[in-house]
Amino acid sequence: MLRSYLGKRLAAILPVLFGVSVIIFLLMHLAPGDVTTVLLGPQATEQDRVALRHTLGLDQPLPVQYGRWLERTAEGDFGTSIATSLPVTALILPRFVNTIILTVASLFLAVLIGYSAGLFAALRARSWFDRSMMTVTLIFGSTPPFWLGLLLVLLFALKLQWLPVSGMIDMAGDGGVLDTLHHLVLPAVTTALAPAAIIARMVRSSILESLGRPHVLVARAKGLRRRDLLRRHVVLNALPPIMTITGLQLGYLLGGALFSEVVFAWPGLGSLLYSSITARDMPVVQAATLLIALTFVLVNILVDLVNVLIDPRLQES
Amino acid sequence: MARSGSLWMRLASACCLAALGLAAAPAAPARAAGTLIWGMPADTDILDPQATGGWGTYQVTYQIFEGLVKEDLTKADVSTPPIVPALAESWTVSPDGLQYTFKLRPGVKFQDGTPFDAAAVKFNFDRFWNKSSPDYYPKTASFVAAYTKWIKAVDVLDPMTVRITLTAPDYEWLRQGLQSYGQPLMISPASVKKYGNAGVALHPVGTGPFMFVSRTQGVRTVLKRNPNYWGRPAKLDRIVFLPLEDPATRVNALRSGEVQMISTPPWDDIDSLVKAGFTLSTNDHAPYINFLYLNMHSKPFQDPRVRKAVNMAIDREGIARDIYRKTGRAEYGMLSPGTYAYDPNFKSYPYDPAAAKKLLAEAGYPNGFTTVFELPQYGTGELVETWIQRDLKKIGINVELRKYEWVTYLGLWAKGMTNDVGMDEIGWGMSTPSWVDIVVECGSVAPNGENSGYYCNPKVDALLNQALTTKDQGAAKALYQKANRMIMDDAAYVPTVDDLDPVILSPKVHGFVNPPEDWFDLSTVSIGN
Repeated sequence: MLRSYLGKRLAAILPVLFGVSVIIFLLMHLAPGDVTTVLLGPQATEQDRVALRHTLGLDQPLPVQYGRWLERTAEGDFGTSIATSLPVTALILPRFVNTIILTVASLFLAVLIGYSAGLFAALRARSWFDRSMMTVTLIFGSTPPFWLGLLLVLLFALKLQWLPVSGMIDMAGDGGVLDTLHHLVLPAVTTALAPAAIIARMVRSSILESLGRPHVLVARAKGLRRRDLLRRHVVLNALPPIMTITGLQLGYLLGGALFSEVVFAWPGLGSLLYSSITARDMPVVQAATLLIALTFVLVNILVDLVNVLIDPRLQES
Repeated sequence: MARSGSLWMRLASACCLAALGLAAAPAAPARAAGTLIWGMPADTDILDPQATGGWGTYQVTYQIFEGLVKEDLTKADVSTPPIVPALAESWTVSPDGLQYTFKLRPGVKFQDGTPFDAAAVKFNFDRFWNKSSPDYYPKTASFVAAYTKWIKAVDVLDPMTVRITLTAPDYEWLRQGLQSYGQPLMISPASVKKYGNAGVALHPVGTGPFMFVSRTQGVRTVLKRNPNYWGRPAKLDRIVFLPLEDPATRVNALRSGEVQMISTPPWDDIDSLVKAGFTLSTNDHAPYINFLYLNMHSKPFQDPRVRKAVNMAIDREGIARDIYRKTGRAEYGMLSPGTYAYDPNFKSYPYDPAAAKKLLAEAGYPNGFTTVFELPQYGTGELVETWIQRDLKKIGINVELRKYEWVTYLGLWAKGMTNDVGMDEIGWGMSTPSWVDIVVECGSVAPNGENSGYYCNPKVDALLNQALTTKDQGAAKALYQKANRMIMDDAAYVPTVDDLDPVILSPKVHGFVNPPEDWFDLSTVSIGN
């Protein structure tokens, strides 16, 4: 049953990726501006431009161009970047890994902060702790990450000088894991705070709802230990909506990481995608968007799968 | 409940401690001696000097590659960088101005050990000029066109002598070689053969004071000192070029000591950085002009009185003072201040909104008119353009600002303005006055060139051609200045405010020179305490 569910979901990936690739391809071609302007500069003659368009295959009809790209991609060849003459895979993969490092670190922080704050607030509902926690989450939940990032830089990097301002490693040092972790703190916190706030609010309301259910009242009346009650009857039942919102936040984290990449000069996929779009570097844009779409779809499937494992009734729906 | 709470509390505490541990980790590992880290506003293009354009890229390639001659960028107090021998020890020009004979510098080797000689020079000219050569690389064509369009023949006279014959005398030709949109600098023939033409981008091998170490696209480019450099060795061990596109990040990285130098600082931060002990370096002769093209195909602008009114209505001094914060200079002509032909006393149209309004009324627009100003979301931002919009509104011209992303804009600019557009803009220039040909000549009218507003005055063209073929620089200067006056009498363009190339340096940086050029010689720089 679970296997067929998973099979169906995985089979749905291909049409999604196909749709994304067609839309990006068309959007990039609809946008005004010409890659030959970037590659040849303003003094190029029309003859030079025509020759380059021919070399790049850009003088072919759109369906032919797309078909060729699709054929190569199906064979696992993402081609060569038009702007940099580098293989697209060599360009994208290291940047993708950097984005994943930032996203996973942010997710870890968001879950840790969100789950802890939400649970404590729910267990002490309407206390001063609950009220102040909900105010704080409201503030962080509505703060733009690039602004928050700058504030954190002012405090922790410039005033206290605890953490670096930008990049992934110290450019004058030897790098290393510790150095990267040190550089990761501020961008990860910046990216994590807004999702953490939303997760905290969802955890709180979900736990509160669970706490008020009749079977919990009965269990309490029967004298079940508080720890067992929370673990077996409250938290487990509250988990599906929490998991769903966490999964959705992962998508937000991917997007939020792109903002943090700019503020902290974190060399991830976002800045590469931006420079590739401005350079009309079609092969890189196509591959990067496909990778992002694939990650997003896979994460959603993973979240749904976890939800199904927690609540088998979902399989039927 | 208390026990469950304490479990979470313990987990949270452990994570807080871990985070604090990270924060307390050593802020920066031991720094290598003499490393300059430069926070740049954008990543550079590919590192093939013959096949790329853009000052940001030259700022890197200038350190790696050299040409037969070069501009001496170790002097800030000159109006134009003098041309000095580089890979050619000396050169002579035939009396008719058609033949340049270069005596090459003996004993020079490329950074990969390949000897530099006449064969290497021939190979490079074949690569960027000789279409019939198997070594020709078509991508270079448009980048070095301003230099190569004059060349008739390249002859190797002996292993250390090369003669280049021009199709017509051009006394700015040497400087055009350093100022072309790309730069015809010498690349190791062995490296091109080994890595291929496209491979030069990631394997740049020249003869310069620094050599390439590594590059991660969009992240950093690292150079190190060339230990076998033929000239005065560089003082720095390494240079790291770091693209930091967000201006606030650039400033913060400088303040925290992560970089020692930033270019294109945000104007609003300059004063506070100087107060904090950083050094502001500018150059009054940066060879650069920001200007508007007025569209000769758009009805109101066909009347010279309207064009003059626009020129008079813009408060350039105000822009330089309030927006550029003294790192800009109001400009009144189309000759770049970095050229020998520049006349600092020439003031075409001083700010006079009342006279502008009167001229507009005389031209039949007492209530003004509405027009479109196309601009890129790039460079000076939209502050200056908004200021211009406000100034023109004061004389009754309603300007709609149409902003485009840079590449889209470049395409529109190169095609020439459509009839509904009144003005567009660009910032450009070279340290040769012959640059002005590119944007004003009839032959450059869009879409066949960079004359986006279709201005055409055959008398101006004749003067510019005469200047180019005049050997005596004093006489050529007079011709360029006459052409400049004629262009501004026609009020075909609106020069606005030039950037003085501001660079902010950490007090640890010594020996930095900001020359009248858009790139720097970093071999004189050192890092101290």
